[in-house]
Amino acid sequence: MNKNIAPSSIKKWTAVAGAVVILLAAILASMLLYPQSSQGYEATTWAMGSYIQQTLYGSGTEEAATQASSAVNELENLISWRVADSDIEKLNSAAGADWLELDERTINILEQAVSVAEATDGAYDPTVLPISSLWNFDSDEPAFPGDDKIQEFLPFVGYEFLRINTEDNTASLRNHGNGVDLGGIGKGAACDAALKVYKESSISGGIIAVGGSIGVYGEKPDGTDWRISVRDPDEDTQDGLGVLSLKEGCVSTSGSYEKTFIEGDNTYHHLLDAKTGYPAESGLVSVTVVHESGAISDALATACFILGLEDSLPVLKELGASALFIDEEHHITIAGDLEFEQISTAYTVSRQSL
Amino acid sequence: MNSRFPLFRKRDLLVFLLAAVLAGVGFWQWIPKSGAPVAVIEQDGQEVRRVELDSIVQPETLILEGEISVTVLLEPGQVSIIHSDCPDQICVNTGTLTRPGQCAVCLPARVAVRIVGKIESGVDGMTG
Repeated sequence: MNKNIAPSSIKKWTAVAGAVVILLAAILASMLLYPQSSQGYEATTWAMGSYIQQTLYGSGTEEAATQASSAVNELENLISWRVADSDIEKLNSAAGADWLELDERTINILEQAVSVAEATDGAYDPTVLPISSLWNFDSDEPAFPGDDKIQEFLPFVGYEFLRINTEDNTASLRNHGNGVDLGGIGKGAACDAALKVYKESSISGGIIAVGGSIGVYGEKPDGTDWRISVRDPDEDTQDGLGVLSLKEGCVSTSGSYEKTFIEGDNTYHHLLDAKTGYPAESGLVSVTVVHESGAISDALATACFILGLEDSLPVLKELGASALFIDEEHHITIAGDLEFEQISTAYTVSRQSL
Repeated sequence: MNSRFPLFRKRDLLVFLLAAVLAGVGFWQWIPKSGAPVAVIEQDGQEVRRVELDSIVQPETLILEGEISVTVLLEPGQVSIIHSDCPDQICVNTGTLTRPGQCAVCLPARVAVRIVGKIESGVDGMTG
């Protein structure tokens, strides 16, 4: 090695130093342009009478969140019976008269709704509108409609009145007085719509919560499973009673604590048994269902709450779902293959294979 | 060394300093903010206020006017919805928020208060 530093050598070192500085600057510039990806991009919006929260990771997160949000809004304008000119509003108006051509998305959700109705023998029923509109749980003033009214309108409820033709995307309701209410499946379907956007985007992972329905896609930056806490029906604490770990798919919960009102000596909750027209009493407080489809998980959560633990098990098996049941005796039953970490000690836990 | 190629010229030093400053700013922006919890208050999907919880010295009430008015209380290290004109009072009953991932929502008023920050062994969502 030559110990004398020749001018050419100095020039070389200056060049190297310059290159290093430029390289560092470039790295830092990229850090500025692409902020810490592990933080995630968060977006909150409102639709379907719910608070919608998305947390997305990777690249193109903002665009994906915006697109998912529009997809959910579009879906609401198709499937909410309260929205004038929505597919469902038109279908209900044409009950007993015409077959209508509907958006493919609406047809798909109607089909999923009927499949759960069939599998649960009508415990979940998308044609519950004649009864659900009597109770009016989504309004500011829900009220007990009286037994006479319930008996009068109960015969109009029945999923067999809803007929769907997937070949030409048409549907009809057989009798005047029939009506579809997709309230029990809409939020889950909204998760599906968002997950579809995520899959077609460049994001690496994301989670959307539409009310109590949650959909997860891809991976978190640290590669760990998605952790979903399950609300404690007794206490509205932030930690919930435990945490479900999920790699993919959707989670929905139906709980009798969600929408309630008190009249006289009775507390009424919103999970109506379409067979009786009254809030279901199955000894359960809440049911959380995990399924690859948000729509199915949402409808199944309602159905399983109404069916009760025993009768739900074969349905869960048939549809490839798993579930977490909480009963009035503070017992948690985990049916199927679910990873659950208990937090609250106020509950006992047992497992049930399907 | 009166070479034509000195190691540093004054101008080089200037460039170097500038790069160092840029690097400092870049790194500061880039590092995760050590999980310092930040309260985000939103009304109708719009961010109304964002404040680092640990930087709050004096309790402060924030009144969000609207068809349904909501009052948020910001305190050192915590935040809560203390009043809402809504019928169900779910937001008020949610209680006090202290950790990233927690949130209180007033659906009728379309107001959300949540804490963001690096979640340590926290959860990604809540069902129910």
